[in-house]
Amino acid sequence: MGKYRFLLLVVSMIAVMAVAALAVTTISVVVSPDNGPSIQYLAQQFMQQNPDIKVDVTIISWETLYPRLLADLTSKTGIYDAFTWDVMTAGAMHSGCLDLTQYFKDHPDIIPAGYDMNDLLPLAYKLGTWNGDLIGLPYYNNTMLFYYRKDLFNNPTYQQQFYQMFGRPLRVPTTWAEAVDVARFFTQAYNPKSPTRYGIALMFPTTHTMFYMFPLFFGPYRTSTNGIREFGPVNFDYGTYFTSDGKPAFANQYGLMALEDMKALMPYAPDPLGSDYGQTIEYFAQGMVAMCPQWTNPYLQFASSPALQPASEKIGIAPMPGVSVAGNWALGVNKYISPEKQAAAVKFILFCTTKESGMAVLKKFAIAPVRESILDSPEAQAAIPWVSALPSIYQTEAFRPRIPQEPQLESITDVYFSKMLSGAIPMTIQSLQSLADQWNKVLAGGQ
Amino acid sequence: MRPKTKRRIINTIRYIFTILILVVFLFPAYWITITAFKPSSEWNQWPPHFWPYHPTLSNFFGGNSVSSIEGILPFLRNSLVVSTAVAVIAAVIALLAAYSIARFKTGGMGLAGWIISMRMLPPVTIVIPLYVIYAKVNLLNTWTGLILIYLVPAIALGVWILITFINQIPKELDEAAKIDGASNLQTFTHIILPLSLSGFAAVMVLTFIQTWSEFLLATILTSNSAAQTLPVYLGRFITGYNIAWGALSAAGLITMLPVIVFGIIFQRYLIRGLTFGAVKY
Amino acid sequence: MSKSSRKIAILFILPVIIFYLVMAIYPFVSMVYESFTNLNLTMPHSGQFIGLSNYFAIFQDPLALSSIDFSAMVVYIAVPVEMVLGLVFAYLIRGLKGERVFRTLFLIPMMIPGIVFGIAAQMIFNYLFGAANYFLSFLGIQPIAWLGQASTAQFVIIFLDVLQWTPFVFLIIYAGLLSVPQDLIDAAKVDGANGWQAFLHVEFPTLKPLIYVALIIRIIDALKIFGKIYMTTWGGPGTATSSWSFYIYKVGVSYGWDIGYASALAVILLIVSTILVNILIKFLNLGEQLGISKET
Repeated sequence: MGKYRFLLLVVSMIAVMAVAALAVTTISVVVSPDNGPSIQYLAQQFMQQNPDIKVDVTIISWETLYPRLLADLTSKTGIYDAFTWDVMTAGAMHSGCLDLTQYFKDHPDIIPAGYDMNDLLPLAYKLGTWNGDLIGLPYYNNTMLFYYRKDLFNNPTYQQQFYQMFGRPLRVPTTWAEAVDVARFFTQAYNPKSPTRYGIALMFPTTHTMFYMFPLFFGPYRTSTNGIREFGPVNFDYGTYFTSDGKPAFANQYGLMALEDMKALMPYAPDPLGSDYGQTIEYFAQGMVAMCPQWTNPYLQFASSPALQPASEKIGIAPMPGVSVAGNWALGVNKYISPEKQAAAVKFILFCTTKESGMAVLKKFAIAPVRESILDSPEAQAAIPWVSALPSIYQTEAFRPRIPQEPQLESITDVYFSKMLSGAIPMTIQSLQSLADQWNKVLAGGQ
Repeated sequence: MRPKTKRRIINTIRYIFTILILVVFLFPAYWITITAFKPSSEWNQWPPHFWPYHPTLSNFFGGNSVSSIEGILPFLRNSLVVSTAVAVIAAVIALLAAYSIARFKTGGMGLAGWIISMRMLPPVTIVIPLYVIYAKVNLLNTWTGLILIYLVPAIALGVWILITFINQIPKELDEAAKIDGASNLQTFTHIILPLSLSGFAAVMVLTFIQTWSEFLLATILTSNSAAQTLPVYLGRFITGYNIAWGALSAAGLITMLPVIVFGIIFQRYLIRGLTFGAVKY
Repeated sequence: MSKSSRKIAILFILPVIIFYLVMAIYPFVSMVYESFTNLNLTMPHSGQFIGLSNYFAIFQDPLALSSIDFSAMVVYIAVPVEMVLGLVFAYLIRGLKGERVFRTLFLIPMMIPGIVFGIAAQMIFNYLFGAANYFLSFLGIQPIAWLGQASTAQFVIIFLDVLQWTPFVFLIIYAGLLSVPQDLIDAAKVDGANGWQAFLHVEFPTLKPLIYVALIIRIIDALKIFGKIYMTTWGGPGTATSSWSFYIYKVGVSYGWDIGYASALAVILLIVSTILVNILIKFLNLGEQLGISKET
């Protein structure tokens, strides 16, 4: 008799667990490595507050994430429920993203109290829209900064040596032309007394990285008075690479000058054509280079590197000598999933973009804030040094195109720029023109 | 010079070259192994550390998902399930087909050639239509989906190898069995099957190793830890973002180790398989 | 053939045939069809028939044409090196004390996934921190930007391929060497042959078919090279290390799912592979080796 009672107990326990499992909605979230740790952290918090929702976070590298996401959304398979997407892929992905503007109208109570939509920075918000509809909540207001060795620049010995060599004071460069002399000074091959092996860490690999490095150099020409006169103001969807009416704007002397600026710095950088994110961050973190253009969250790795202690004395942060480039990420929801999953996913992305979450990931993971209140708060500014520099950088940063053909344009461009910078094809306006011709072919809708 | 001394000198030279070649060939595996146990301060140093000065297990446990390999278990599970399933199923189907072709010349050279050519199919050529098809029939991100596509080259190789194995079983045995009144099926189960076991094992070993390492198809046809295999886990960080070399190496070590151990233990079958049974090793 | 024999023969062959019809033929036909369309997963209304446009585009695509260069380079540099090195190592350790250990150790690289080689290469060939430049410094050579220059990047990929696949060639040849009975060699020596003649007339005939097998399998597999490129250079700098397979991946999967164009590229790769496979079958006299057809 006891045997049967025990069996009954076990069976009923299993039944209860099964029912409980059925009552739990599981959402699958896919993110890039930049956003990985922070989203996983937020997922833990979210699950504690919402025990009926399970969040499963998958991290995939940028190069693989984007095509996988695109494939999922366009073939309507509904594998990923929520995802971080790079805002330049807005045009390509919009058809599969849930229209949040409409969703919030239909389900106004899903927005938590105190969320304050108006607190979201207008630029970050706008980057999450396509054709006026909000398809992603802004999550990471990423931009590029110019990190440099404050201690070396402030050192009187080096200041004196620099003056002797170049006849002007050693300063953090404000243009790329200035940067060339400074980089030369800090490269041992050209200046045996340099404290660092190389002047600057540049990343010009044949990956999507090249596509966002070029605007750092091209941006100043594009948005100069002459540039605006010739090409019109920068269109929000077409970005810095294009004229305001959607034609390639780089097949001219401005594009050439940008490439020449890049080339001029290359001798003072360690293996620029073969270095990506991972390599350049290491070079600066180990004290091998004096300057490093990088995104916002590598700051944490720099600040914890033994070679850069004390961080407050050694790590300097300045605006980019040219202009910065926007690298925003937004959180979107898949259109082709069940209403329950949509509700759970929307709840999750709202949670990730509240004031509290924003402040938490800023402090723990150096995720640049999308909210005005955080940008202005002394707490945030005290936590991470670059917060106070951000507002002015956001004013002038360059943009990559957001149109649907962006991925194909990017793929061709990385290869062309790499070949031009290495000398495999001549660095001339003709080469830029043949690149522009390829662009026009893609834009016309056929290969 | 006396011949014995000459031989000793030659042998010494041979040893030196052998060691040199082995060092070069095993260096990448060595580097991955030591980096897996290095703390972050030692990943990138000049001069490089050829041995972890402060060995640590922090790349394996603790830390978050980017700095350690704490999330790796589902991927290990997926690799084990998929590779084992492919190895077993491929060997079975291949054995049946090989018997039919070897003993009965079914389909002649045309069929055999066509099956063998499947081994050579570059995966990148079918991955795209396959993605579209899988999306329609809900096979994306499933073990079944991966197993099915991995069976394509596996069965082909298996058929090729097993045909040569079966050919080495003397036909007289078949005839003797027939005289004793055995049916075709009984001939298969009592004569052929037992004698081709080493070939069967060879196909399983080779297939397991090749399936374990496959990357392209796994990356495209799977989406998350439900079905992604170890090579996909490794490929998470190729570009962009600062790479946790220690964690990546730890993951690499976990990816390499099972199949290396497996291959070394069963190397006899590996050799038999690779030489199509021509070599009685 | 008796009726019951025929039944069993067909029954046993059926699983294979059905399997390949579904898993290989169907996607293959799909792919060929799509190569004549402009299907692009990012363009919702694409998929119209455009005839041979994709194929013409290939000939005008400078990026595709430069990918042929690297694929060919892998075949005519990496494969011969692997063949020679495999042969050399087999003879190097044959008869040496500790032969078994050396052989077992040499097996290892063959079982390592290409991706893992890629990770190791990124560390070893790093410009400022890598072991490769460290070894160079002993020879008094300036550090090389391995992954940032076309020629050295190509060297790295080929080097990785050699590391990974030489053991494969070695194993085949070595096993062949083992199967040559020592008394045959001794007999030849007694008859007055020196080492080289013994090799040519006794060992080489056994090795010949094995060498051919290894050679052709390596050539065909070399066309598939992918994981190592993906993990180290991403086809760069420029298109220096972009193999044909890698370019198909970039076009068809990685940057916008231009399925029509990628399918056309894939069809061409398939045609080349099929021609090579047919050469294999003819060359090896595979039919006779498998006991299926008689040599006339």
